[in-house]
Amino acid sequence: MTTPLALGVLAGAVLSGTSLLYATLGETIVERAGIVNLGLEGVLLIGASVGFAVTAATGHALLGLGAAAMAGGLANLMLGWLVVVRQANQLASGLAMLFFGFGASALIGAPYVGAVITGLPKWRPALLAALPWVAGSTLCNYDILTWLAVPVAVLVWWALFRTSWGLGLRAVGESPAVAFASGRNPAILQGQALAAGGVLGGLAGAHLSLSLTLTWAEYMTGGRGFIAIALVIFSKWHPLRAVAGALLFGGAEALQLQLQARGSEISPFLLEMFPYLLTLLVLLAWGGSRRLSAPAGLGRTFYGMD
Amino acid sequence: MIRTIGLLLSLGLGALTASADAPRLTIGVVYVGSVNDYGYNRSFHDAFAQVVKDVPGVRLLEAENVPESAESERVMEGMIQQGARLVFPTSFGYQDSARRVAKRHRDVCFEFAGDGDTAKNFGVFFGSTQAAWYPMGVAAGRMTKSHKLGFVIGMPIGYALGNVNAFELGARSVDPQARTVVVVTGGWSDKAKEAGAANALLDQGCDVVAMHVDSPATIIQTVEARGAMSIGFQSVEARALAPKGWISGLGFTWSPFFTQVAKDVIAGRFRGEAVYQGLGGMVAVAPFGAAVPADVRAQVNAAASKVSSGMNPFTGPLKDNTGNQVLPPGASVGADQMGGMNWYVEGVIGKVR
Repeated sequence: MTTPLALGVLAGAVLSGTSLLYATLGETIVERAGIVNLGLEGVLLIGASVGFAVTAATGHALLGLGAAAMAGGLANLMLGWLVVVRQANQLASGLAMLFFGFGASALIGAPYVGAVITGLPKWRPALLAALPWVAGSTLCNYDILTWLAVPVAVLVWWALFRTSWGLGLRAVGESPAVAFASGRNPAILQGQALAAGGVLGGLAGAHLSLSLTLTWAEYMTGGRGFIAIALVIFSKWHPLRAVAGALLFGGAEALQLQLQARGSEISPFLLEMFPYLLTLLVLLAWGGSRRLSAPAGLGRTFYGMD
Repeated sequence: MIRTIGLLLSLGLGALTASADAPRLTIGVVYVGSVNDYGYNRSFHDAFAQVVKDVPGVRLLEAENVPESAESERVMEGMIQQGARLVFPTSFGYQDSARRVAKRHRDVCFEFAGDGDTAKNFGVFFGSTQAAWYPMGVAAGRMTKSHKLGFVIGMPIGYALGNVNAFELGARSVDPQARTVVVVTGGWSDKAKEAGAANALLDQGCDVVAMHVDSPATIIQTVEARGAMSIGFQSVEARALAPKGWISGLGFTWSPFFTQVAKDVIAGRFRGEAVYQGLGGMVAVAPFGAAVPADVRAQVNAAASKVSSGMNPFTGPLKDNTGNQVLPPGASVGADQMGGMNWYVEGVIGKVR
C-alpha cells in the first residue's frame, strides 16, 4: 500500500524536524539572552555521542537521553565560561566549541561505533492507529521527544514571554546595561539561558542517535546545527514560529526523498538544494523587517558598568 | 588531532607488545572509518584477523579513522618505522599518499584497495560487486509481494549504478513485474537521510530494501522496525541487525587473497599486480535469513554460481529506463568498465542526473 505524498512528507517532516526543533528552541533562548552559539553543531554531536554511548553501555535509552541533556548543558556552560566570565569573542568561541564538539564526540563515540542499541520506546495511541494510512506509516508512532516537541516549544514561549525571568532574559539580550541598571544580573541570566539551551541541544542530538538512526557515526548531524541557527533567524527569535520552521525544513528534506521514491523526473541534485534555497528566500523576504529583527545586544560582550 | 594522538598511543602499545616475540611479518592496515561499522571497514578487519590465525608469526598494526589527507602519509610512515613490511591502505582516497610512501620505501610492499598503475612493491586489488548483485536481485524478486524493491545509494557513481542495474536484472529474471526504486541520499554516510530514504521507500510500498552506503546499519534497522525485508552490503555480519527481515546480502571476503599476499611477502616473492575478483573470490553471498524458503535459497545459489563461473548480467540487448538501447545484442560491459556506467536499466525507477 502506498502512502499519499502529502502524508509521506508530513511523516518525514515530523521525524527529521524533531531534532531541528529542539536545537532551534535551545539556540532561540541563548540568542534571546544576547549570545550567539555558532558551535551548536558541536553541542548536537556531543549530545548524540554521549546519548549513544550511555545507552549502549547501560542498555537504557532514557538514561542515555538524560546524559545527553546534561552533556549538552555542560558544553554550553563551557561556552558561557568563555564568553560571559572571560568575556571572550562570541564568534571565535563558538567556532572553537564547534571543533571541540567534532573531536570530543568522535572520541566519546569511537568505542561504540557498530553497537546495537534499543532506541527510545515509541508509542502510538490505539485510536490513531485505526485511521487510514497511519497504521502502515511512521505517522503518530513517536518517541517521547517527538510527542513533547510542541509542548516544549509552548513552554519555552511561556517562559520567555510570560514570566518575569523571561522578561529579564530578553532585557539582557536587548541591552545588558539597562537590565543591570534595573537590578538584574546579566551574567547569571546568560548562564541560565546557555544551560537551558544546551540541554535542548543535547536532546536534539540524542534524537538523531537514539531514535532516528540508532547508530553513532562521526559527524552524523550533517549540518543540522547550522540549519537550526538559520531557523532561529527564519523564525525571528520566536519559539512558536520555530515549530513551523522546523516542520518546513524537515519537510523539504522529506519531500526530496519522497519524490525520488515516487519516481519523480526532477534531478536529485536539484532536490538536494531545496532546503537551502528556502532559507535564502526567507532571508530575502523578511530580512529587513525592523519589528522582527534580532535582539539588539546579540553577539556583544557586556563588560560591566564600572 | 585527537585521532593522531590516539594513533600514536596505539602504535606505541603495539611496539611494546611486539618486543617480546619478534614476528616474521608486520602488516600495517589503514582504515578510513571504524572497524565496528558493520560495513566496509569491518570487512577488512575481519579478514586481517583471519590472516593472523592462518599465517603464523604475523603481527598487525591497525589505524582507524585516518583521514584521506597528508595525515595518512604520516600514519603509513609511522607503521613502517614500527617494522611494517606490508601495508594495506584500504580506502580509495589514500592513493596519492600511498604511492609517495611506496616510492620512498622500496623494501616495503603495498596492497592498495583501488585501481591505477602497479609497481614492483605496489599492488592494487578490489572486489567487483556489480555482477554479484544479480543473485541478490533474484532473492529480492522471489521474496517481494508488492513487486516494488527499494535501493538507497549514496551517490549516483558508475559502480553504484552497476549494483542497482544487476539487482533489477536479477529481480526481473524471476519476477517480470519487479521494479527497483532508487533514492540517492547525496553522501556515503548521512545517517539521518538514510533513515528518511528507507522510510520514503517503505511509504511507497517497497517491501525489500537494498543499499550501497558505507555502513548499512541505519537502513537495515529502520526497515526491520517497520516489518519489511532487507538485503545487506559490505559486511556479511550485518545480518545480526535484522533477525526477522534479513534476506541475504553481499560482503567482501578478502582473507584468502590477503593470506596469499602475506605468505608471498614472507617468502620474498611479492609482485605488485592488479587483482580483481568477483563472486567466489573477494565477494561472497551472506547467509540467508530464517524467513527465506529452501527453494528460494536454491535458486539464489544457482544464480550465484552462474555469475561466479563467468555469466555477465550486463550483456545486450539491454535498454535503459528511458527506452534507449544502451547495449546492442552481444555487446557487454565488463567489470573493469563499471566506473563509466551512466544509465539505469529498464525497470529501474530513478534518474541518473
